[in-house]
Amino acid sequence: MIYALVGLRGSIALLLKFAILGATDALLIWIISVALGKNSIILAVVLIAATAALNITYLVKGAVPLKFLIVGILFFSIFVVTPTGYTIIMSGFNYKTGNEIDKPSAIAGVLANGLSTDESGTAYDMFLGKTPSGQWAAILEDQVTHSVVFATTDGVQPIGESEITRNSDGIITAANGIKQLSQDEQATADSEITTLRFPLGDNYFASPQGAEVALRMTQVMSYDKTSDTFTNSQTGEVFVDNGKGNFANKADLAQVLDPGWRSFSAFDNYKQLIMDKKVRDPFIGVFVWTIAFAFLSVGTTFAVGMLLALALQNQLRFRRFYRGFLILPYAIPSFMSILIWRGLFNKDYGAINHLLHTHIGWFDGPWTARAAVILVNLWLGFPYMYLISSGALQSIPSELEEAASIDGATGKQAFIAVKLPLLVQILGPLLISSFAFNFNNFNIIYLLTGGGPTDESTGAIAGATDILISYAYKTAFGSTFQNLGLSSAISMMMFFIVGTLSMYTLKKSRVLETL
Amino acid sequence: MSNTVGVRNLWRHVLALILVFFTAFPIYVVIMTSLDPTGGIASDSWLPVKFSFSNYTKLFTDPRIPYLSWMRNSLIIASATAVTSVMIGAASAFAFSRMRFKGRKIGLQALLLVQVFPSFLSLSAIYVIMERIYLVVPALGLGSIWGLYLIYIGGAMGINAWLLKGFLDTIPMELDESARIDGASVPQIYWLIFFPLASPVLAVTAVLSFIGTFNEFVLASLFLQDVDKRTVAVGLQQFVGGQYEQVWGPFAAGSIIASIPLVIIFLSMQRYIIGGLTAGAIKG
Repeated sequence: MIYALVGLRGSIALLLKFAILGATDALLIWIISVALGKNSIILAVVLIAATAALNITYLVKGAVPLKFLIVGILFFSIFVVTPTGYTIIMSGFNYKTGNEIDKPSAIAGVLANGLSTDESGTAYDMFLGKTPSGQWAAILEDQVTHSVVFATTDGVQPIGESEITRNSDGIITAANGIKQLSQDEQATADSEITTLRFPLGDNYFASPQGAEVALRMTQVMSYDKTSDTFTNSQTGEVFVDNGKGNFANKADLAQVLDPGWRSFSAFDNYKQLIMDKKVRDPFIGVFVWTIAFAFLSVGTTFAVGMLLALALQNQLRFRRFYRGFLILPYAIPSFMSILIWRGLFNKDYGAINHLLHTHIGWFDGPWTARAAVILVNLWLGFPYMYLISSGALQSIPSELEEAASIDGATGKQAFIAVKLPLLVQILGPLLISSFAFNFNNFNIIYLLTGGGPTDESTGAIAGATDILISYAYKTAFGSTFQNLGLSSAISMMMFFIVGTLSMYTLKKSRVLETL
Repeated sequence: MSNTVGVRNLWRHVLALILVFFTAFPIYVVIMTSLDPTGGIASDSWLPVKFSFSNYTKLFTDPRIPYLSWMRNSLIIASATAVTSVMIGAASAFAFSRMRFKGRKIGLQALLLVQVFPSFLSLSAIYVIMERIYLVVPALGLGSIWGLYLIYIGGAMGINAWLLKGFLDTIPMELDESARIDGASVPQIYWLIFFPLASPVLAVTAVLSFIGTFNEFVLASLFLQDVDKRTVAVGLQQFVGGQYEQVWGPFAAGSIIASIPLVIIFLSMQRYIIGGLTAGAIKG
């Protein structure tokens, strides 16, 4: 009864529902219309689907669970599932610097690169314009022999000196049959001009380099559509699709044409991680350190946090102060603490060198840098471990300890034999999730050391403190070379490891059984 | 008697004091640095030689440092994300905890697995999506805090639904059964029974989400390029993250001011947050 009075029911609730749904619809439809107006078809389709899903869910009776889930599902699909799927797909592609575009663009790129001047590098002074019928045309004067021809995109014809007007410097200023472009026309047609080709015969053509000079060139690389090959007309070399996103020389497959395209490569990225020494060795180094880092982080923070929980479990003077003060690192925004620690470790003015009266470049040596990372993570992490340990300590019945002491165990023995195993068992799931968190703890590495020190002389990407996630980040978004395919493969490996761990934890804690 | 107790407790004090020193060290240095008018990180002396608030006033007066905008951006985006993600998370958790439907189990497992995926490596895909949105609605796309907000709440369901479901599961089924007998509809059960009962947990979830968003650095630094639109995290990082020029004074002052609201929120909700942290452990 009471619910009929207090609850949102009847016409008011209905009105409210329609008002909210209507406003959302209006907003979405407005965005869809803008998207259609700007030819953003994919976005429009996604939004139309989302709008339809929303309206069906809330207007059709039944499907109550969906009414609670739909908004979350929509956001989750667009911003989490889609990018994740994209990463998974990319791990099967050869997608790196030099192989970023699709195949047709790559073919166009190779054609553009496959031009060559003739042996003597013949150049022409050019008087460029259009014929009365609007066709591109030019008077070309060989810079060495000074022979003059009239060229159109159909070919060349000889032209007499009488049909040309020159100024006092000998530069052509007018010619019969050609109307010069105005400055404005020239500026707008700039990109068109550079793609013009005036055939000269013998497979050669004049290619304008700007508006006043042309070069005698030939297309050395020619593409044959039916056989999908490139042929170098000068050397006779044939280049075939190597199936890995490049055209490679048939005789010497290591010689590939630039640019390539992003091509499907199945498990090549994974194979590289396991087989290619240049990729594998840094990967294994990073992998080992990632495991060590995660273990050491959990180990040190748990040891300190547990000790502190034991120290503060009984009445103690200043206990409140200790408690309140020692959880501060957990409350302070971590990105700030990490950056502050970065300053403290500075070689020249850092407070740590000042305190120790040393002059050590902590982040210059691999081992000091690693130690610094662990120390800073201890600072950040021990309060959390303290909090969960003291919670767990309180949950262990004191009878256990009493029983142990009646059986003649000392306090220490009772703790080690009875309490500690119990604590680890209770805290197990949290320790594992802490391990998983540190496994992917990008911020501390990126903000503290940037993954360094890196041995730059070898051109290595991975630094001594890089963990998998920062290594994958550098691989994908590095400043000089980017390999999105490989990076995605690394991500998949991490996903596999952390996912297995999480599923194991859940199985262990029997969460999945109670679903 | 009291003496032996004192000796027995000695190690406790020693340990606690060592940790107090460890904890205090960077905090002390950052406070000193913020008061040092020369702008370097406190170096020559452990006691302040010169004392000035110039670093603090600089934050609010120097036109090149739009600190107030950064703070405002961070607070807006963190609050909006916290509220929205709790709303989405609570509704999802309610459905997963209280209803039986097709795909429920798979849905829960999928949520968990996708959440474990190192998601920011799909940055390039997110970037492409945001670029498309930017071309259509600039206010929601690349470079705007509302675009970033969309990305943040994209993950909300995965993080919060599991957390909140665990709590909702502890509320006895009899409660909603009796409400249903009294004639309550599902939305009424949700809004009038669960929401009030779960409000402490919802508050904790909101605070954790607020802190998480406030701390988020990678996405924010990639997506917010304009100086005015940055969050505090990105803005302050620029002072000291660079290779060459490092300006520690304003950074320290800015960090202290930015930390204060978070520390206050955290300490005032400490009891609940700790309850939330340990609940999972004790139950397992």
